[in-house]
Amino acid sequence: MRWQPLALTLLLLALSGGLLLLGTSVGAQGLDAALWQAPSLVTELRLPRSLAAWGCGALLGLAGAIAQGLFRNPLADPYLLGASAGASLGVALALVLAGSAGGALMAGSGWGLNLAAFAGAWAALGLTVLLSRGVSHTPRLLLAGVIVGVVLAAATQGLTLLDPSTLRPMQSFMLGSTSLLGWSQVALSLPLLAIALLLALMSSRTLDALGLGEATARSLGLPLDGTRALLLALLALCSGAAVAQCGLVAFVGLVAPHTVRALGVSRYRWLLPLSAISGGGLLLAADIVSRWVAAPIELPVGLPTALLGGAYLLSRLPRGEAR
Amino acid sequence: MSPMQNPTLRLDLDHLRLGEREVLRDLHLTLRPGEWVAVVGPNGAGKSTLLRALAGLLPSGGALRLDDRPWPLLSRRERAQALAWLGPAELDGTGTELRAEEAVMLGRLPHQGWMGLASAADRQAVTEALAAVDALPWRHRPLHTLSAGERQRVLLARALAVHAPVLLLDEPLTHLDSPHQADWLRLMRAQAAQGRAVCSVLHELHLALRADRLWVLSQGRVAYDGPAQQPAAREALQAAFGQRLRFVPDDDGWLALPA
Amino acid sequence: MRTLLSHLLAWASAALLSSAALANTGPLTHTDDLGRQVTLRAPPQRIVAIGPSLVESLCAVGGCDRLVGVDRFSNHPAMVNALPKLGGLGEVSLEQVLRLKPDLVLLTPASRLHDRIAQLGLPVLALDAQSLPEVRRLLRHMAVLVGAPERAEAVWAQMQREIDAAAAELPSSWHGRSVYFEVDPTPYAAGEASFIGAVLARLQLKNIVPAALGTFPQLNPEFVIRAQPALVIVGQREAPNLAQRPGWAGVPAVRHGRVCALPRADGDVVGRPGPRVGDAARALVRCVRALPPP
Repeated sequence: MRWQPLALTLLLLALSGGLLLLGTSVGAQGLDAALWQAPSLVTELRLPRSLAAWGCGALLGLAGAIAQGLFRNPLADPYLLGASAGASLGVALALVLAGSAGGALMAGSGWGLNLAAFAGAWAALGLTVLLSRGVSHTPRLLLAGVIVGVVLAAATQGLTLLDPSTLRPMQSFMLGSTSLLGWSQVALSLPLLAIALLLALMSSRTLDALGLGEATARSLGLPLDGTRALLLALLALCSGAAVAQCGLVAFVGLVAPHTVRALGVSRYRWLLPLSAISGGGLLLAADIVSRWVAAPIELPVGLPTALLGGAYLLSRLPRGEAR
Repeated sequence: MSPMQNPTLRLDLDHLRLGEREVLRDLHLTLRPGEWVAVVGPNGAGKSTLLRALAGLLPSGGALRLDDRPWPLLSRRERAQALAWLGPAELDGTGTELRAEEAVMLGRLPHQGWMGLASAADRQAVTEALAAVDALPWRHRPLHTLSAGERQRVLLARALAVHAPVLLLDEPLTHLDSPHQADWLRLMRAQAAQGRAVCSVLHELHLALRADRLWVLSQGRVAYDGPAQQPAAREALQAAFGQRLRFVPDDDGWLALPA
Repeated sequence: MRTLLSHLLAWASAALLSSAALANTGPLTHTDDLGRQVTLRAPPQRIVAIGPSLVESLCAVGGCDRLVGVDRFSNHPAMVNALPKLGGLGEVSLEQVLRLKPDLVLLTPASRLHDRIAQLGLPVLALDAQSLPEVRRLLRHMAVLVGAPERAEAVWAQMQREIDAAAAELPSSWHGRSVYFEVDPTPYAAGEASFIGAVLARLQLKNIVPAALGTFPQLNPEFVIRAQPALVIVGQREAPNLAQRPGWAGVPAVRHGRVCALPRADGDVVGRPGPRVGDAARALVRCVRALPPP
């Protein structure tokens, strides 16, 4: 079935709106409309948390669409070029340093950890580009990304062994967490999303043309190297910001573009924004599930995203050769 | 930016290298407007490499001139508007979810602004290109759902949609059935008749021999650069293919069969 | 005749008594937490213990001088710092263990080294304590191991006295107040059912996390805010950030400055189920006393 992109956009936005509404109604006692009894719970906790979770998911969805377009690989995800390993290492370093005497700098650890994750993601990406000596050779980029990811992950492991008190915070980080998202996170992620989307849309034609092959895209006069550099920077920006706020949430960046493609969207002008909206909805849905299922106990948000994402991918598994 | 009016493409290169390996040498080729040149030769002779060099896709761009302007001095846009290149079939179509007409619309990129918005002229060009290759019935279908031959025709249409005065096509007839090969022959003649410079790498020797000009590649050199109808052309082919061909006359030209 | 009989009786009862005494130092079969059984011919003299709770419990019942090797994180009592450190809880240097020629190795059940060490021919026992009653049981195990089973109850009684003494130091205005103990900023809380929860209960503080939610549940922050705890206990690192968490500025504990920032060293004691529960209680009371009373 083929949807008109505009109609699809409106539909997905409406869905997100519905989820936001639900998000304000699910709290420590499961489903309850606290708006009348305790409005501060909604305005200070549930609304910003839901919005920020959506924002995080949208950043991941956008980053996933960019990654899949840049590398022509439907299995690409936002963490592909070592960003996740870099973010983890940043957080581990910050936690270890905060424990030591010289960790006074990290006393504002709320933002300190976010900054560490963000910086780590960027540093890893920089390392990847350095290792692959530039952005022009895609297979080399991918390989460099794998190497950086593996090495940094090992370094992170080493750090947690050195200081086991970091084990639990690292685990929370690796599984993803939306519990403490508030208005300051909303103020950060939504404008960032808008900027990143605008910049990415400028490269949407190049992403389309890359589908016909790199040489063809080049012959059509497209500035491939410049576009690649821009897209990589956006990838780092979006995935870094998302990881800094919500930890390493799996699957959202991978699955969101697929849901949109399955609805017949093929051009990146639509694929980019719709992946963002879809990703936002996905993470918000997972956040609601994690709050609701065992209230007041919360599941790490990475669990429902893995379940939802995994179930979706399973349903898309081809049942045989279709031509 | 007004499009080039039927320019001439020249390549003067002593050594054409692919990485460390020298593929061809002593290249002094001219592609003139209104002329259809077929590039032939045994496998591995360097035909695709030569075409890429002509398209400015290789680092040897300095040896290429469009009319009298060196290739590196042209802007990316000027180059894209002057020259349309179609790569060999394995290069693509399956790595994308684009629909046929969206893929053909990509051929209009050299004429569009950075936002990539399609004008009425663009849509017209796309429809005409699809009609020319007989692909209108499936203009809305995603590329990866088409058969190889249908997809190849769409990719051809993409190259046509550029409306470039110079057309470089690498093995454009791959997967095409005979009727569509014949269509393509007529199309190429028509393009040349309109003043375009067409250069195609072909395996189908009987079609290559119907071109205006023939470039035979063999042993790392251009063994023959001249009219395709002359006996010298056939001799050069024989030599290039190790005397394993048998030429049989036909209504319109010659057939090349295995000896 | 009578004197011979009484001599015989005296001799026989002496023999019986001494054999009973010998039985205390004879072969004993120990069963560990995994249900495995190990028979030791004599009380162990060279013990390797991997795990701070194990080390502290062993030392509490007087077995410290039998220790020949400990793990990297054991730091109490002071004398164990002079012992060879054999690695963390998961990665222990087997070679070093062998070189020490122990006649007993103590591990936690979570360790994966149990089989490997047993394969090397060393007697291994997997023991642990996660709650106060389990600490009592662990003390008994350790006391039996060192051949002085009665010491366990003595240590336990001392622990109880210390807890009660610490509890007495807490101003009565704190009694019955609600408390939220945060183990990790995710947030993970220490519930009623946990070791920390048990200590807090002895201090007559009411945990907002009931036993039904488990020992260390990950909570929805909304739950904590709704519970409006009068006292919040967190790690020193997190304490300054509490007011910035969405909605937390309104929590009574935060509003009135009743946030106990536990220094890292105290965190060790409070978090470690073992014989130092008295120290844990004292650390908590010390922290709470520094706050404005309710």
